[in-house]
Amino acid sequence: MPSAPPEAAVYGLFEGYALDGFYDEMFSAPGKPRPHYAKIFSKLRAMAPSQFEERRQLADVAFLLQGITFTVYSEGEGSGTERLFPFDLIPRVLPHTEWDRIERGLAQRVAALNLFLQDVYGQQRIFKEGRIARSLVYSCQHFRREMIGVQVQRGIHTHISGIDLVRDSRTGEFLVLEDNVRTPSGISYVLENRLVMTRCFPELFQTYEVLPVNHYPAELCKILSSISPRPGEVPQMALLTPGVHNSAYFEHCFLAQQMGIELVEGRDLIVDGDMVYMKTIRGLTRVDVIYRRVDDEFLDPLVFRPESLLGVPGLMGAYRAGNVTLVNAVGNGVVDDKAIYAHVPDFIRYYLGEEPMLRNVDTYVCARPGDLKYVLEHLPELVVKAVGESGGYGMLMGPAADRATIEEFRRRIEAQPRNYIAQPVIGLSRVPSYHPATGRVAGRHVDLRPYCLYDGDRVIVVPGGLTRVALQPGSLVVNSSQGGGSKDTWVLRGGD
Amino acid sequence: MLSRIADSLFWLARYMERAEDTARILDVNYHMLLEESRRQPYRLRWEPLIVMAGEEQRFRQFYAEANATTVIEFLAFRPDNPSSISQCIAKARENARSVRDYISREMWEDINGLYHALNRFGPAEEVGAGPHRFCNLVRFGVHRFHGVTDGTLPHDDGWQFLRAGGFLERAEMTARLVDAQYQNLLVPPGVGAPDNHQWMAVLRSVGAYEAYHRQYHSPIEPERVAEMLILHPLHPRSIRFSVTEVQAGLRAVSGTGAGSYANEAERLTGKVLEGLRYDTIEEIFKRGLHPYLHDLLRSCRLIGEDIARTYFFYAVVA
Repeated sequence: MPSAPPEAAVYGLFEGYALDGFYDEMFSAPGKPRPHYAKIFSKLRAMAPSQFEERRQLADVAFLLQGITFTVYSEGEGSGTERLFPFDLIPRVLPHTEWDRIERGLAQRVAALNLFLQDVYGQQRIFKEGRIARSLVYSCQHFRREMIGVQVQRGIHTHISGIDLVRDSRTGEFLVLEDNVRTPSGISYVLENRLVMTRCFPELFQTYEVLPVNHYPAELCKILSSISPRPGEVPQMALLTPGVHNSAYFEHCFLAQQMGIELVEGRDLIVDGDMVYMKTIRGLTRVDVIYRRVDDEFLDPLVFRPESLLGVPGLMGAYRAGNVTLVNAVGNGVVDDKAIYAHVPDFIRYYLGEEPMLRNVDTYVCARPGDLKYVLEHLPELVVKAVGESGGYGMLMGPAADRATIEEFRRRIEAQPRNYIAQPVIGLSRVPSYHPATGRVAGRHVDLRPYCLYDGDRVIVVPGGLTRVALQPGSLVVNSSQGGGSKDTWVLRGGD
Repeated sequence: MLSRIADSLFWLARYMERAEDTARILDVNYHMLLEESRRQPYRLRWEPLIVMAGEEQRFRQFYAEANATTVIEFLAFRPDNPSSISQCIAKARENARSVRDYISREMWEDINGLYHALNRFGPAEEVGAGPHRFCNLVRFGVHRFHGVTDGTLPHDDGWQFLRAGGFLERAEMTARLVDAQYQNLLVPPGVGAPDNHQWMAVLRSVGAYEAYHRQYHSPIEPERVAEMLILHPLHPRSIRFSVTEVQAGLRAVSGTGAGSYANEAERLTGKVLEGLRYDTIEEIFKRGLHPYLHDLLRSCRLIGEDIARTYFFYAVVA
């Protein structure tokens, strides 16, 4: 093993830190921090692991008190145990120039996605001009025939989008991994992480100019109040939650409270004469705008799943009659379909006449015969994803899978090629993260989910977003159900 | 305000109150019973605590005998006893969680913190060390919750539902406390008649021991204790005081003035309160304390049901 030059030798938290050939967000070379990380690195390097551990516990207590926990159920245990969503104290930092490009790329993408949804449920120009097959769109699991011809308020479908990005270690470039324009979650962690971070590491904020994130609820509220079906009157707005047992319930409360709008469950609402009302202690009150955190298929048992208790009978009728606005619009799941994802760069070219600023991860769409053949021949090298799934479900990690699993996927893909896409394995970039078991910092893979709001004219992107981190050594899976955690994400003001 | 939120706040306050009252009763009686003569049979010493909680039937499903171990386990910890202190706090927290957007952040953090603090206790240690530390934590936890609530939540409809729920529960708990001890008092002498200690314990468990002496300047007499707990106009744990608060809460919500009522719950509350204002303890004893309290508990139950019918689960005519 070659001996490191003396200035790179680091003790304390960074003892034994290795880059392992991945793009490291903090270091350009072993022991050499990138310019925008230099001050953080020198601060952390001067800290004893025990001091760091103290701050970490401070953060944990803050999250526990806030009840930012999720419940884990195991066999034979009725009540389940509450776990913290792990928070790693070392921030993920993006210099302004890099963020600027990401922001413009996201704005472009969101605008194109909205135009695509308007078109698919409206004039269907894109089918007529043969730019995408109608059958591909109509066969999406989340395509909603009921939305065809529905004029949504101000033409907005994608009020809120969460676009997942990853940085490819080979090139250092940010790529779009997937689009989430149904009910993306996680923004509350962005805001809470920042709050806890300022309490645990106040001194770091004094040496950096970090762009604030807490204007998100106000911006969202502004959009909600601009799309009421009764303009001119004070809109009654509500956030529809599946209830306390939903894993994102904390976020639903948080957002409702921050925006000062009512948090409702399906049983609080009633539809009469195509109007939506909520049951209050003084009788029924009409509701104009619903930010729903209930998926399409549970919204209205009369139209979708009849057994759903989370929704409101008649809600779709009221929506189609234009008497209530739903946010996000119904039917957006078409865009989340991973076979459609592969076409998004074309949508940008088609609707906006621009070249995409953020590229997709190379994607093989198994519905295309040529791609299918390639995928079946290269399964052990590829990541295979079911087109309608999210959150790390229905996925094959070729290089890590055993023979039997690969063969199982082969059978599934051959049976239903439309349901699968495949991508090369991306070596996600890494950020130093604290490993409690060793009391040291090690490189862990991260992704980035920025949150975009669309008001019909302009896309507002919260600076940064949610950095999810795979805290298990070597893991590439950042989902919280798979042991993932999160980090505060900083975008530095220009000049830094 | 949403009906569901009003409902949750009402029950949030009820569960908090029940946790506090049970903790008070358990704590005081446990320590008194330690001093008590051991000649008294277990049944006499421990059973009233179960009666006070109104959970005799359930208790018998689990245990053959009421003693220090079983009573502490049952009243403080048992997850399948919905009235156990830990269950009350857990349910109060669940209710708080379902109205997190409505209550203040401090209220939530406070109640959530209490829940986690109590979770660190287990029956085994407590039975050995006595329930004092646990009960104290609950008592002061609930006091703090009231303080945080009064200091951070606007005193609007939601606050009034908390008030009505908490005091309705308190009225019921005090009624059961007096009833349980009074029945105990009727046990024929020779079996080991309870003495003043038990009435002292009753006063202590509602924090009225000192107040009693200030008021009556006399040794402890069961009738005076009952008078204080049922009819005292200003002692915050008396039934009269509690029902007065329920009425004030309900009237604030409906906007009803004195001398009238807007719904069945208010009518019944007013009626109960008239009795509490103008009855004397002598009259009550003449009528029989047990039937009197029995009627009172029944009225409280009906008031609770009427509140639910009026505000939470009213039928919607579409």
